[in-house]
Amino acid sequence: MPSFLLNPSLHIALAVVLGMFGVFLMLPKQRLRSVPGGLLLCVASMATLAAFAYLRYGEPLLLRNGQTDIIGSVMFWFFSAAAVGFSLLLITQRNPARGAIAFAFVILSSCGLFLLLAAPFLMAATIVVYAGAIIVTFLFVLMLSPVRGPSDENDRTREPLLASFAGFGFIGLVLFALHQSSPSGPGLHDQQPFAVFLSAASRTKVEQAFRHADAVVNPGNDAEPVDVASAAKVTSTLIAEAFDSAPDNATGLDLLSVRRNDPHVESFFELTKSLLAANAELDEALLNNNTAALNSRIVSLRNQLAVMRGVQDLPSRNVANLGTLIYTDYLLGVEMAGTLLLVATIGAIAIAQRRKGVEA
Amino acid sequence: MITLWHFLVLGAVLFGIGLVGFLTRRNLITMFLCAELMMQGVVINLLAFGRYHGSLQGQAFGLFIITVAACEAGLAMALFLVLYKANKTLDSSVWQAMRESGIPATVDTDALPVVPVETHPVLPVGGRLPVQPDVLMEESSRA
Repeated sequence: MPSFLLNPSLHIALAVVLGMFGVFLMLPKQRLRSVPGGLLLCVASMATLAAFAYLRYGEPLLLRNGQTDIIGSVMFWFFSAAAVGFSLLLITQRNPARGAIAFAFVILSSCGLFLLLAAPFLMAATIVVYAGAIIVTFLFVLMLSPVRGPSDENDRTREPLLASFAGFGFIGLVLFALHQSSPSGPGLHDQQPFAVFLSAASRTKVEQAFRHADAVVNPGNDAEPVDVASAAKVTSTLIAEAFDSAPDNATGLDLLSVRRNDPHVESFFELTKSLLAANAELDEALLNNNTAALNSRIVSLRNQLAVMRGVQDLPSRNVANLGTLIYTDYLLGVEMAGTLLLVATIGAIAIAQRRKGVEA
Repeated sequence: MITLWHFLVLGAVLFGIGLVGFLTRRNLITMFLCAELMMQGVVINLLAFGRYHGSLQGQAFGLFIITVAACEAGLAMALFLVLYKANKTLDSSVWQAMRESGIPATVDTDALPVVPVETHPVLPVGGRLPVQPDVLMEESSRA
């Protein structure tokens, strides 16, 4: 196969052009609508996109030892193809009720992807809220507003060619930017951008500190209950040893590997700073014997250590840890979201009940 | 282990498809579903970054996005009902008088195909009128 056929930029351009004309042909309009032709072009475009993703970024899921996770990969390709296919169906479907059903399938497929991304709570919440509530309320509205025969809103589209050019041009630009800015070769799956800056001794200490903090967040089934205070004490000492907190002395850093122009250096220093600040807060909570503060601080310290240590693992108890996070760090956000829901409910009732001649 | 990039590609594609639908479709409900589709692409991005960095912040953001989407859906449905009552159509072009000044109005040139309306058979009026309940009551009291 000639080598220019494997050029990722060519794949992006081909997928964009094919998808643009495919969607243009399938969009509902009075002339130039050809569903089979459009379907063919869209399938070709999806296949080109998949070829781009596979050839440029390799397997979507890997096991710990670097082998391909076959089941996970099959699920990724299946769910993403279903999500894209049903979303194409949603925008090209003339009947809005069928479009709503297609949207429900998009939601279900992306919920499968949420599971692959280790977000089971969000998966359940999305199914309940989107597929359960939003789709059903919109089907109610559709049934309250019946349309017989061909109509302006369902059988016409506004500027179909320009709109598909805009959307697919956007996709092409984003993918091209991703292609340009993402690492290539062996660095692609390297998820330890920060570990290279640490000397071997500090790296070991960070790893140990992470294990102690993680034992508090994720107690195993067989292990005896962890004493939070003692774990915090060990963690804090280890972090203090790993990073000398004197500002002009970077003993924790392997200075040889802090290369010039490495994009990660800045963020590494930021992370170090915030890690040390979190450690100081932990020490303060230890001194004051404040159990609640100790618990929340060791969780945030654990998350920062996880980023520093480089192996990206989410805590296995998703719901418990998500709850801890949103009811400590994002408590104000939760309150505001609740207020927003209340205001939206009042607003919806006020708008929908407005009658002619009665000013609300 | 998971690679971030595949999910970013998927999120971008979902967002772009939703953008096409939002720009070109005229049914208000389909436009709204396309906006939700764009939001779904964004949530996939957030979760992928969260997984990549081993933190739950992405999932917390996703939770807030779902809350906002639920508020949006409730308000949009109420608005659509009011707009439908005003013009008996869900076509967004009916409201194009609200466009920016200096932009010409969109005119539909191609006529829609005419579908013959099915006429249902109508039963002729005949026979006796059914007996009213109050007449029955009168008769029973008289007897």
